[in-house]
Amino acid sequence: MLRRVVVTGLGFATCLGRDASTVLGALRELRHGIVLHEPFEDPSVPVKLAAPVPGFRTDSPDAEDWTFPENLSFRLDQLRALSPNALYATYALRQAIEAAGLDAEAVSNPRTGLFTASAGSAMLTHHHIDRMKRVGPSRCSPLGIVASIAGTLNFNLVPALGIQGASAGFISACASSGHALGYAFDEIALGRQDRMLVVGAEDFTPETILPFASMRVLTPSRDPHTASRPFDRGRDGFVGTGGSVAMVLEEESAARARGAEIHAAFKGWGQSTDGTHMAIAHPEGAGLARAMRTALVAAAVEPYQVDYVNAHATSTPMGDASECRALKTVFGAGGERPAVSSTKALTGHALSLSSIMEAAFSVLAIRHRFIPGAAHLVDPDPEAEGLFLPRESLDKAPQVVVSNSSGFGGANVVTVFARHG
Amino acid sequence: MSNTVVKHSELREALKRCPESAIEAAVAFQETKDPALVPPIVLGILERFVEPDVRPVIREGDDSTRLMDDLGIDSLLMVEIVILVEETLHISIENEELRNIRTLGDLKLYLDAKTRGLPPPESKNVLNFEQIAATLPQQPPFLFLQEARINGEYAEGSYHISGDEAFLEGHFKGNPVFPASLMIEALGQLAVLFLLKSGSVAQDGPEVDPASVYFVGGDGIRCHRVCRPHDTLQMKVRLKKVHEPLAQFEGSIFSNGSRVARAEEISLTFAVRAAGEEAGLRLR
Repeated sequence: MLRRVVVTGLGFATCLGRDASTVLGALRELRHGIVLHEPFEDPSVPVKLAAPVPGFRTDSPDAEDWTFPENLSFRLDQLRALSPNALYATYALRQAIEAAGLDAEAVSNPRTGLFTASAGSAMLTHHHIDRMKRVGPSRCSPLGIVASIAGTLNFNLVPALGIQGASAGFISACASSGHALGYAFDEIALGRQDRMLVVGAEDFTPETILPFASMRVLTPSRDPHTASRPFDRGRDGFVGTGGSVAMVLEEESAARARGAEIHAAFKGWGQSTDGTHMAIAHPEGAGLARAMRTALVAAAVEPYQVDYVNAHATSTPMGDASECRALKTVFGAGGERPAVSSTKALTGHALSLSSIMEAAFSVLAIRHRFIPGAAHLVDPDPEAEGLFLPRESLDKAPQVVVSNSSGFGGANVVTVFARHG
Repeated sequence: MSNTVVKHSELREALKRCPESAIEAAVAFQETKDPALVPPIVLGILERFVEPDVRPVIREGDDSTRLMDDLGIDSLLMVEIVILVEETLHISIENEELRNIRTLGDLKLYLDAKTRGLPPPESKNVLNFEQIAATLPQQPPFLFLQEARINGEYAEGSYHISGDEAFLEGHFKGNPVFPASLMIEALGQLAVLFLLKSGSVAQDGPEVDPASVYFVGGDGIRCHRVCRPHDTLQMKVRLKKVHEPLAQFEGSIFSNGSRVARAEEISLTFAVRAAGEEAGLRLR
C-alpha cells in the first residue's frame, strides 16, 4: 500500500514574485513578469524580451558582484560556490521550509531528503573553461566545478541544510523538475523517506536563454504584454525566464502529527517518452497523452474528474499543437472540463524549473480556489478547438489539477494534485 | 595606453576586493619587485577572502596566527588565495610547499624567499616523531610529543592519547584519565625542544647541551578539564625570558577546541656548550 503524500510548503523566486501571495495575485489577475530585457538590446540579438526575477541580478560570473534580497546571506566560501540557479534555489527553498514550519532538525535528519533539478550554469561553465584555456588549470577557481555543473544545486544545498536522507538531481530538460517531484513522491509513497524537499531552478542569463534563439524557438516580439500566448494562432515562440521554486512534500500522517497546514494532496504522477526526436515533440502528442493516462491511473482519478490542466504549452507553434492533440486524446473534445491554461503566458518558459513552478501554481490554485486563465489568448489555434481555455481566471475551486511537462528527448512528466481532506 | 598602465589595471581588477593598501603595494611591487612589499600584499589578499569578523586578527599581524584554525581558511579557500598571490607576485606555489604553510609567519617567510628567488625555507621547524625523539633526551615510553613546530618565540606540539599508555591502567582504575602531572611534563618537553631547536638562546654560537636541561619550577598551573584516550593534546609554549642558566615559558593545552590546562610559568635550567663540542660529549 502506497503512503499518501501532501504538500506543506511552497517557496518562490520567480518573475511573478518572490513570495506566495504576490505570485497568487499575479496568477489570479493574470499579471505577467515579462519585460524588454536590457542585455538583449544588442542588434545582433534577435530576441528582446525576457522575464527576470525581481530583486536578483546575476549577470557577472563573479558571485560577489551579484545582488539579491537582503534576507539572504552567505559566507564567502559559500557564495563563491554558488551558481545563479543555486542562489535562487537557496532563496526559494528556505522560504518553502519556513512556510512549512520546519525547524533545522526537521530538515536535517535521515528521514528527510532533497531532490533537485537544474541544468547547471552555462554562464559559469563558459567562464571557468574559458579562463582555464587562457591561464591554465592551476590558476582557476577550485570551486568552479561546484558552481558550474549540473548538480550544483545538490552540492550547495545539501551542506547548507545538513541533508541526511536521499539526495539526487534530475536531468530531463524541461521535464527535469517534474521528474524530481515524481521521484520525491515515490520516496515518500514507498516509505523510504517521510519528507522530501524538492527544488527546481534555472539561471537567468543570456547563456541559458539565447541558445534557444539559434533554434528559432524564442519569440522575436517586442511587446511584453502579448508576446507569450500559448495556444494562440499567432504564437511565435517562447520567452525565457529563470529563478526557482521549491516544494515541501510530506507523508500525510507525519504532516498531520506536527500540525502542518496541508496545501494540497499530491495524488500521483506518470511519465513517458516520445521516442522520436531529440527536440521536437511527437506531432500527435502521443507520448504526453500516455504520460497523462499513466498519471491519472496512478492517482486513481478518472479524466472527467479533472477540473484544471496546467498545460506545458510554451507558445511555440509545434509544441502547443502537439499538446492540444494530447489533451483531446485524454479528455475528449467538447464539454466544460477540464479548464486548460498555460501559465507560461505570464512567466515565459523556465526550462528545468518549469515543471515544479507550474506544479506549485497548481497547488496555489487548489488551496486558494481558483483556476488561472489563459492569458494573452486572442485567437485560439484551430487545434485547440474543443478545449476549454478560459480567458480570465475562474472563481472556481478545482478538486483535481493535472500539471503537464515535456522536455527535449521527448520526456513527458505529468503530476496530479487534489484538494486535501 | 602604455603596457604598464594595462598591466596595472589588470592587477587592480584581479585585486579589486582587497584593501587599497594591498593594491598600492602590488602596483609598486610590479615595478620594484621589492620583497618588503610582499607582507602587505599577502595580508591584504588574505583579508579579502576571510569573514569580516576575523579581519582584525590579520591586521594585528601576529605571525603565530593559524590560517585554518584562527582565520577559518579551508583548503579550497587557500587555493583561491594561492591563485591570487601567484598572479600578483608572478610566482608559482607547489602543493608540496603549501602543506608546510600553516601560519601567517610561515606564509610571510615562504613568500619572502620565493620573491627573492631563494629556495623556500626548509620545513626544519616542523618536526615529526622521529625527529623529536632524535633531539630530546626524553624517550618512549616517557615522550609525550608526537609532532611539533618551532616558530620564533613559541613552539606548538601535539600528543594523541592512544589509550595504550601503561599508566592509564592505574590512573585511574576503570577510569583512564591522562594525568595532569604528565600534561605539565608534556608542556615541559615541548619547552625543552624549543630550547634545543629554536636557536633563540644563542644563534650561531654555543648550543644548549641536551643533557643539561632540567625542570626547576612551575607557577600558575591550572587544569580545566580531563583528557581521556583518543583526545589529542594541542600544546603551545611561549618563551618569556631566557638568560643562562634559566629559561621561562608560559604554556597552554587545548583539546577539541577547549582549554585543558594552563601554566603561567614553566622554568627550565640549562647549560650551553661551544658549537662542535657534541662529539666530545658523546665520547665521554
